[in-house]
Formats: sequence, structure tokens, C-alpha cells
Amino acid sequence: MRRREFLAGAAVMAGAAALGRPADGSAQLSASPCPVTLLPMPDYGRDMEREIAQVMVADGLVLKGKRVLLKPNFVEAHPERPINTNPAVIASVAHACLRLGASDVAVGEASGHRRDPWFSVLNPGLRSVLDKRVRCLDLNHGEAVAMPNRGGSSGLAKFYLARAVAEADVLISLPKMKTHHWMGVTLCLKNLFGTLPGIYYGWPKNLLHFRGIENSVLDLARTVRVHYNVIDGVVGMEGDGPIMGRAKPVGALVLSPFSLAADATAARLMGFEPRRILYLVMAARFLPGLRPEDVALRGEDPRRLATRFDCLDAFKPMRGGPFF
Amino acid sequence: MRGASDSLFGLGKLTSFELPKGGVPYYRGGGPAAEPSLLALLAFKTAPGPVAGMEALLAWVSTLQNPDGSVAVNAADRDQGIWLTAPAAVVFERYGMAPARDRALDFLASLSSKTVANDSNVRQDNTIVGWPWVRDTFGWVEPTAWAVLALGVCGRGSHPRAVEGRRFLLDRQIPSGGWNYGNPGVNDRELLPFWDTTGLALLALRERTDVSSVRPSLEFLQTNQEKIRSLCGLAWAVLGLEAWGRAAPRLRERLAAAMAPASDEGLNAAHLAAGVIALSGGRVFAP
Repeated sequence: MRRREFLAGAAVMAGAAALGRPADGSAQLSASPCPVTLLPMPDYGRDMEREIAQVMVADGLVLKGKRVLLKPNFVEAHPERPINTNPAVIASVAHACLRLGASDVAVGEASGHRRDPWFSVLNPGLRSVLDKRVRCLDLNHGEAVAMPNRGGSSGLAKFYLARAVAEADVLISLPKMKTHHWMGVTLCLKNLFGTLPGIYYGWPKNLLHFRGIENSVLDLARTVRVHYNVIDGVVGMEGDGPIMGRAKPVGALVLSPFSLAADATAARLMGFEPRRILYLVMAARFLPGLRPEDVALRGEDPRRLATRFDCLDAFKPMRGGPFF
Repeated sequence: MRGASDSLFGLGKLTSFELPKGGVPYYRGGGPAAEPSLLALLAFKTAPGPVAGMEALLAWVSTLQNPDGSVAVNAADRDQGIWLTAPAAVVFERYGMAPARDRALDFLASLSSKTVANDSNVRQDNTIVGWPWVRDTFGWVEPTAWAVLALGVCGRGSHPRAVEGRRFLLDRQIPSGGWNYGNPGVNDRELLPFWDTTGLALLALRERTDVSSVRPSLEFLQTNQEKIRSLCGLAWAVLGLEAWGRAAPRLRERLAAAMAPASDEGLNAAHLAAGVIALSGGRVFAP
């Protein structure tokens, strides 16, 4: 289904999703509402380690003795645009993992545009804010593990996941809250593109575009097990995201063990109706958390954070609200 | 002579990356991979004499070539990494492996990027054929530049695909200078130029291209050279500028420093090899 056709029939699709179809292949099922926590973080000068650790514990995340991989979103380096997950957020989450007893914590990314890892996880600026025990891994250049594609949308038989992704006990997705010029919004699910090494897929990962970005996101969401999500919404990006847009402060982190619940909540904070965003609706066939009633919202009052992200005209029909 | 000693230091460090069972990994602790192995072999060619392990590395690299002439990303995933065929062709040429070189070049000639109709939102000619990273996808700056470079090094710079490849690269050049990984701009806004793709494209275009066509990119690299921090960026910037006779002494100094970090954590062997090649004057890429 094309995006335009989808938007025309959005109400029907949203109704179908709301019926709660059985999951088909995903490990994630939730009989009760998915917890999503909004943590206020007004600026990047604040260390959130303790608060993040508390939320992770409350969400039942057990890290003691585990190998944890943090997957931030590094796309492009621009001095004036908030394109990437901020190092302060990455550091706070990494240090929270150490606090909770993780045996190994690594930050890994297979950046989709910049091949030079100096502009992503091997940047000295990131290294300087991380505890020495935290390793930084360039996932673009290294070994991969072929994993059968557990979805059927893209037509790809398998994905080559970076070995560090395949071997991590716990994978934590750390995307940036942004609009996306092809998909509407880019959050936890889209962040999974960065688990695929560039030496297998190129820069950008054009094969995934050819197979349909939404299709590829859905297949990755079925194939890659994500254990926790933290969305950097301290300063997001509105307009012509994910690269050419403008800064949009929201002042919060969105935390959840459930990727779709985190994405749907973040979309509402951004002023988008997630039930009008094609890939989120499609993901609701096998992941919980699309509808407001699927989510148990905790932490900061969302009415204090909710805003309205500007977007390209093509995506204005996806907007909605107020939601809270 | 500082440059020579820096180059030898880099070569010594590079040999320490070689794995006992063959191949060079991108990073210490990793598995063998085609790209750092290929660039290491080109770096070894700059040495004044034989380099330890060179023959074994060449033998390992040779096993990565498929019957169709393409070269795999590593031994395990033979159908992946066709973009590595171009640097492999340069290696085969430099090491006198004519049959392997010819099969690689034949494969490159048969590999075309997807094209589409032009789009008024994108200031580029989508109908020009270049080279993709992956089969059945669009052409991008880096694989196209490598293919053009390989054809030139192997004496096929006048091949129609090389001619079109140069046209592709010039079309993708950002009007104010430099190359992004693909598009020069979207919706009347220029994209950011990258150091590495700019240096590589300039290197590939040094043959059969008028300097006036690439002057904005040369100026871009030259005027922004103090901003380049990474080993990868420094190496390709030196190669790109010097390919056009632009001296880059300060860049060379900083490149040498970047090749000798306090720790090897995060040191990429492919970038180190590119640094060695750059300090040697990039002669392995001469037509």
C-alpha cells in the first residue's frame, strides 16, 4: 500500500488496528498496557543516570551480568542541526546500565550517511563523556551475522546484522525524536536500520529503500529483538527531517520496553496521530502499544510536553491532537 | 625525511593488524575483511622492500574473488560486497595478476546502477549510469569513484563506462564544492560535502578531466583543511589535493599524527592503509 492510499483510508486501518490482531511472529506481546515513561530533561547539561536507572528497574529491565548494546541514531554531522542522539543522553543511559550491573556496555552504530566513524560513535566528543568501561563500536565496518528475515514485507530472505547486535544480551534503542521526509516520523523502529553494516548495505542503505522503507522497517522490527527504548526528545527535529530540519525542543526522554508504544507516544507528543502513520499501523499487527489505551503513561504530565512539530506538506494529514 | 619515516611507521603498524589465518580486520579483535586487506596490500606496495606477510595476504584476498569476477566482503558472505571489486582490480593490477584483474574489470563493466527519470526536486541527472554499492540499486559517489579509478589505473580510462562514470561524478559534485555520498542537493538546498568522498572523487577524476570542472572542490578542501580531524578524512583529502598537484604539507603533518594515536582503540586499518598510501604520494593510483 502506498502512503497516499493509506492516508485516504487511514480511519479504516486505524479501526482494524484497534481491534488488536494476534501477533504473528513477534516476541512482543502485552496483555496489559505497555509502560511508557516521560522523563523531563530540559537541556543536555543534566545527568539523568540515576533517574533512567530507576525507570529501567521499574520497567523490569534486568541488566546484571548482561552484555548491553546501546544503539543511538547517528546519521549526519552538522554543527547547527540536532540530527543525532545527543552524547549526554547516550552517556546517561550507558552509565545507568553500568549502575544496574551490566557486565559490558557498548555504544554501536552503523551510520547511514557518514561512512567515516569519526562523525558518529568514534567521535572524541562522545568518547569524552563516556565512562572508560563503555566501548564504542563502529558497526558499519566489521563482521555480520546472517539472520532469516522474520517478516515478509521487503522480500529480503535475510538480514546481515552487525555481530555486536546479534550477540548482545540486551539491545537498547536510542533514537532522536524527528520528522522524516519519507515516513513522517523517525523514532525507535526506524532506528533499526543502523543495525545493518554499511559494508553489506552501502551508504545509504539503498537496498532497504528499494524494498520500501516501511517494508524494511517492519521486517527489521520482527527480526531484531529490542529490549528497551529511550527516545531523545530533549531537542528534536521538525520540518524537513531527518537531516535538513530545524531544532524543536520538547525537553523530555521517552522510555519504554515496547518500541511501538514508545514511538506512538512520541508521535503524539510531536502532534502526530500514530494511527495515521502507515508503518506504525502496520507494526501494530505484531507489536503492542499503538493506541492510547495500549499505553500506561508514567512520569511527567504529557500536557506539559506535548507540542506540534512542523512537517512537510505531504505529512500534514498525519497530524492530530490534542491527545492528552 | 619525516614523510618516509611516518610512512614506515604506518606500514609497521599495519602489518601488526594481519591475522595469522589471513586477512586484515577493520579493527583489532575483528575478523578478516576485504577492504582493509585490499588497502593494506596497496599500502605495502609503497614500501621500499618486501613486507612481512604480503604474499599470504595476497593469497587470502585472491580467495575472495568469485567466478563472475566480483569480490566478496569476506570469506563467509561471498554474495555481499560487490563494490569491493574495484579496489580489488587495482590490487590485482599492481601485483601483476592479470587474469584476476581482467575478470574484475569485466564484472565492473557488467555492473550498472539503476537509473530513474529526472526529478525537479533533485538537482542531478538520474539517467547517468554509475556504480552501486549493492546490486539493483542506485549509483553513489564512492563506488562510482572507485570504479572510475580502477578503470584508469588498469589502462581503461577511455572505456565508455569510465567516461560515463566521470560524467556521473561531475554531475554529483556540489556546486559550491565537494561531494556528499550521493546527491549534491535536494529542494534547492545543497547537501553537506564530506572529506573522504571529496578526496576520493578528486582522485578518480584526475585523469581526463579539466581542472576547471573540479576547481570548487579543490578550493573547498584547501580552504577547509584545518577543519579535517579524522584519519579517514585527512588521508583522502591529501590524496585528492595532491592528485591535482596541490601541496598539502600541513595536512600531511596532521595525517602522520593521526596515524600514531596513543591507543589503537578505534583505529581503522583501512584508514591507516589509506594514510600510508597518501603519505607515499598516492603512486599506486597513478594511471
